Amino acid sequence: MEAAAATLLGEGLVAIGKGLAYGLAAIGPGIGIGIVGGKAVEAMARQPEMAGRLQTTMFIAIAFTEALALLGFVLTFLL
Amino acid sequence: MANPMEQLPEKIAELVHELAVLPFDDMHYERPVVEAFVLTNYVVWGIMALLLISTLFIIVANKQKRQLAIAGEGDVKALAPTSRLVGVLEAGVDFIRNMAIDVIGPKDGPRFVPLLGTFFFLILTSNMLGLLPGGKSIGGTIGGTVALALISWAVFVWVGFTKNGFMGYMKSLIPSGVRQMPLAARIGLGGYIFLLEFISTFFIRPLTLAVRLFANLYAGHIILGVFSAFVLLFMKQFSLANVAVGSISFAFLLIMYAFELFVAFIQAYVFTILTAVYIQSSVHASEH
Repeated sequence: MEAAAATLLGEGLVAIGKGLAYGLAAIGPGIGIGIVGGKAVEAMARQPEMAGRLQTTMFIAIAFTEALALLGFVLTFLL
Repeated sequence: MANPMEQLPEKIAELVHELAVLPFDDMHYERPVVEAFVLTNYVVWGIMALLLISTLFIIVANKQKRQLAIAGEGDVKALAPTSRLVGVLEAGVDFIRNMAIDVIGPKDGPRFVPLLGTFFFLILTSNMLGLLPGGKSIGGTIGGTVALALISWAVFVWVGFTKNGFMGYMKSLIPSGVRQMPLAARIGLGGYIFLLEFISTFFIRPLTLAVRLFANLYAGHIILGVFSAFVLLFMKQFSLANVAVGSISFAFLLIMYAFELFVAFIQAYVFTILTAVYIQSSVHASEH
């Protein structure tokens, strides 16, 4: 293979890797945030008077779950 | 007729250049006054946000103070909001105060209201300014968010050390259940948990604080920019299909703009409440 073609191929592979890195990192947190949100809605429907505190807790839980996706986002820039 | 999409890569390159950290006076820029200190576009817009929100607060606080002075000390009724601006800012401060008391606790909470309020209002104002055409948000560059996250990090680490002492804070990273186990489990499991908790507390927390704010706002700016580029490219040439695609893009642009207003608020809120949660975990470190 010529050197120029190899460089092009390498660039293409890096681009695919970047896309995959973030895409795959987003799967788990996506499911996790879905569960957190769904359960929070369930809890608020059961006890509407607790809605304020539940919302705070929900945001905190989402933030911790989201951390994994953010690490994938950082990895995209590092690649 | 040329395909409008052909010019998209140029527009994207323009957009990325527009979002980059550049010297503020890009046209007449020769060299910085001090080599290490360059006044970039993001710094200027950040200072504008700071001046805007602090001026508003100082004016309102002085107004309320004057009213109290006229009515005489102790007459709390004189502090009732007299205009919409006063009401809105007071509701905002009350919101932060309730959050601090809810999360950190009634004893230590009020001490951190100035810090949390500064974070919230500065990030919110800056995000709103960033949504103006040509405006920049400090959240739109990783440098700005890292600076904010480092302040938050320094505060919660400092609170942890002063409240619990150096060894106390380090010990609190290991759950109390593990501390009561037999010696071998304490060393094996405790050491492992300590390592994980140490990395999570001192490295992952500030990193995610900074990256969350940056990623959300940068992604938002890119989305708005791409749809604006679509509208510009498709509306340039008049044909039924082009106008249809352009109109749909414009409608979507408006929806995304509304969503970005929501994101601007929610990210300021999340940054503030996470800082509060981290401070709370430092204040009450010895209890769990």
